[in-house]
Amino acid sequence: MNALSPKERLLRVLRKERVERPPVICTGGMMNAAVVEVMNRTGHTLPEAHHDDQLMAELAGDVHEITGFENLGIPFCLTVEAEVLGSEINFGSLSCEPKIAREIYPSVSKVEFEDVKKLARSGRINTVIQAGYRLSRKYPDVPVIGNLTGPVSTAASIVDPMRFLKELRKDRENAHRVMEYVSDLLIEYARLMVENGVTLISIGDPTATGEILGPKIFEEYAVRYLNKVIDGIRSFGVPVIVHICGNMNTVKAFIPRIKSDAISTDAMVSLRSLKQEFPQLTTMGNLSTYLLQFGSPDRVAKQAARLVRDGVDIISPACGLSTSTPLENIQAMTKAVKGIGSHD
Amino acid sequence: MSQLKERLFRELSDAVVEMDEERAVAVAKAIVENNLDAYEAIEKGLSDGMCRAGRLFEEEEYFVPELLICSDAMYAGLDVLRPHIKPNGEGPRYKVVIGVIEGDTHDIGKNLVKIMLETSGFEVIDLGRDIPPKKFVDEARKTGAKIIGISTLMTTTMDGMQEVIRLLEAENVRDRFKVMIGGGPVSQSFADRIGADGYAENAAEAVKLARKLVGGAV
Repeated sequence: MNALSPKERLLRVLRKERVERPPVICTGGMMNAAVVEVMNRTGHTLPEAHHDDQLMAELAGDVHEITGFENLGIPFCLTVEAEVLGSEINFGSLSCEPKIAREIYPSVSKVEFEDVKKLARSGRINTVIQAGYRLSRKYPDVPVIGNLTGPVSTAASIVDPMRFLKELRKDRENAHRVMEYVSDLLIEYARLMVENGVTLISIGDPTATGEILGPKIFEEYAVRYLNKVIDGIRSFGVPVIVHICGNMNTVKAFIPRIKSDAISTDAMVSLRSLKQEFPQLTTMGNLSTYLLQFGSPDRVAKQAARLVRDGVDIISPACGLSTSTPLENIQAMTKAVKGIGSHD
Repeated sequence: MSQLKERLFRELSDAVVEMDEERAVAVAKAIVENNLDAYEAIEKGLSDGMCRAGRLFEEEEYFVPELLICSDAMYAGLDVLRPHIKPNGEGPRYKVVIGVIEGDTHDIGKNLVKIMLETSGFEVIDLGRDIPPKKFVDEARKTGAKIIGISTLMTTTMDGMQEVIRLLEAENVRDRFKVMIGGGPVSQSFADRIGADGYAENAAEAVKLARKLVGGAV
């Protein structure tokens, strides 16, 4: 009965079909497991792997093989889209992820619109697409997850974020135009990933939280444009996972309206009660990254086993992992979900 | 006279809470024209308005966009009133060195904390974002700040916060500063772990914490 490949298992869960146990994955993108210990072991390192499709694919393969996560995830940052759209990126180091050094536009009214089809064939989007192609050929039984930076976060990475947040209220017309534009680019980027063999798409949108935006703006922008991107991607025939950061208190009512095939949440959200409230949701998460970094392997394993018992559909870290997270802890997590070892 | 004063201060406060920058400027000008005390107007009008906005933020009626627009109104009013502050109108102010730790360029939270601290009577030295640990220490020593405020949104940068405290200890000046931290991935237990003096969950909490750390003198 245990003959399901990791790819089949994850796809079945996303189709709400029965499986013998939940998959344990780490999507990549903002939630990637390219920890320093893995990179030092294999020599396939960041920041170099952000720019080289072969190295990117090798690092994604290393993460899968060494940590036990049942997927391949690319890229390893949240800056691919913003860079293509013109923002200046600081690529960080082995232990420090890339970030936006400077947003290119001061205001939503100053954004210059370009042809998204052309943009999607430029910059590191190509690197990611090539890496996806390599991975899907090398690992036919393992799901390759292509990661997108969500529309609100991408927009806040090309327009000065303080100004952007104000303009979501004060200049709605231009704010919506920028969101449409960014969403169109994301869909085109996803299309190219899917064409090149990526199994599914995961969207992380860390700026789109209830705590930052509040319920009205979350609904007006986050829900609307996440759904636009999700609809676009699903028309290419692949499932979509969305990760929502923060405690979700003020925006919980909107969660069932997000049309993704699964919803992943931060550690402070009880997925068990979320599932009780909205039984139709396929839930993913949410092992505390704090526990992963500072806890013992035993406590990590117990927590992972608890998530399985709580009926969480896909087990995953709750947020971005610190690059100094001990490999031993990550392995304890994946083994516990797979039922290897002495927990319980 | 005092009725007029009260009315204008209230209007100034309302303009801030209601995110009305133009009205804040107009009311501030009226206050100047009527020769009312500018310092008092800042305190009882602008700061009061930001304080009310901060409460709405805590109560989850306002969120980051609203608080930022309120602060624009507050700063616009401040620009009108500041040149009219009479000397000695202000007492000594505690200085806070604040910044986002190296490796992170998310500064929304830090900017909110800065705004709220400034409106609560602290003098804020804003180092900006992506700041190396050593710079926090150097600037705090140079400016005679009482508090060092460090923010991050990224888990990968949390070690830098600890490094600030290590440097303070290495330079034998740990007891001269209070270190407060905040931001998405950090928590009270992380603050305890690295030996910070306090953790604040949001900008309003940060003001309370800063007041506590300087002994309730602000």
